[in-house]
Amino acid sequence: MGGQACVFYGAAEFSRDTDLAVLADAANLARLQKALAELRADLIAVPPFELKYLKRGHALHFRCQHPAALRMRVDVMSRMRGVQSFSQLWKRRTTIALPDGTKCELLSLPDLVQSKKTQRDKDWPMIRRLVEAHYFENIEKPELPQLRFWLLELRTPQLLLEVARTHMTLARHLAPRRSLLRYASSGNLAKLEDALADEERVVRAEDKAYWQPLLRELERLRHPN
Amino acid sequence: MIAPEQLVGEEWAEWYRLSPVQRWLESEKLWQTYLALGGSLDPEPDTQSPFFDARAPRPSPADGRTGVRILRRGRV
Repeated sequence: MGGQACVFYGAAEFSRDTDLAVLADAANLARLQKALAELRADLIAVPPFELKYLKRGHALHFRCQHPAALRMRVDVMSRMRGVQSFSQLWKRRTTIALPDGTKCELLSLPDLVQSKKTQRDKDWPMIRRLVEAHYFENIEKPELPQLRFWLLELRTPQLLLEVARTHMTLARHLAPRRSLLRYASSGNLAKLEDALADEERVVRAEDKAYWQPLLRELERLRHPN
Repeated sequence: MIAPEQLVGEEWAEWYRLSPVQRWLESEKLWQTYLALGGSLDPEPDTQSPFFDARAPRPSPADGRTGVRILRRGRV
């Protein structure tokens, strides 16, 4: 769900770890354990490899010792802030087949965008690239769900202005869900840029607040006494 | 209609024009080069990640040395 998914959808990231979103149930965890054993992956940090931590939104961190993936980090999550349940992610996934026949299951683009709405600086330019790439790929003949996706997720002011100008009714209809669309609809670039920056600040603060109890729990696990 | 070149420059516009599968294959080439040059799969610490633990021990390089050493330092 991480760097390679971003590459696939049009952003560019040279990510050396592998992020996996998994279904958190006992049977699947047993399968995951088997796969990690093949990679000779060791758990390298708290929390322990237990279902309850995945269900609470923690990530499990591993480092591989297999020569073919020596020291590669694997991070496993099941629940992410603002992102739908795993069963929904699975329904909407993208499946690709590599030339050697290997199949890769990727988060859908809208789900990947949601998962990138974090407190980290590096995720925000990534979201912008992902939605821009999708826009340019589909702008010749956009469908309604794509127009909605752009109006709700574009972070490029010029493109937001363009979509709002050419689809005014839809932009007005979606304005209650994304208040900055009123600036896009009125063609106010300066206000729109400010509102995009504000939007990012708010979401980053929400992400920090979301992680506070989880971080406290991690601290307790790191230093039990 | 806004062209990608107007917004993001030639290089990104070219990247956007690739199909998703082409982008994936291009990145695989980059990986091959990176690994052939001895690049490590150990990621850089991400200090903004909620998972970052400043007190966690970092793995030492396989050959016992860091990849980059200062051989000569210029003066300010």
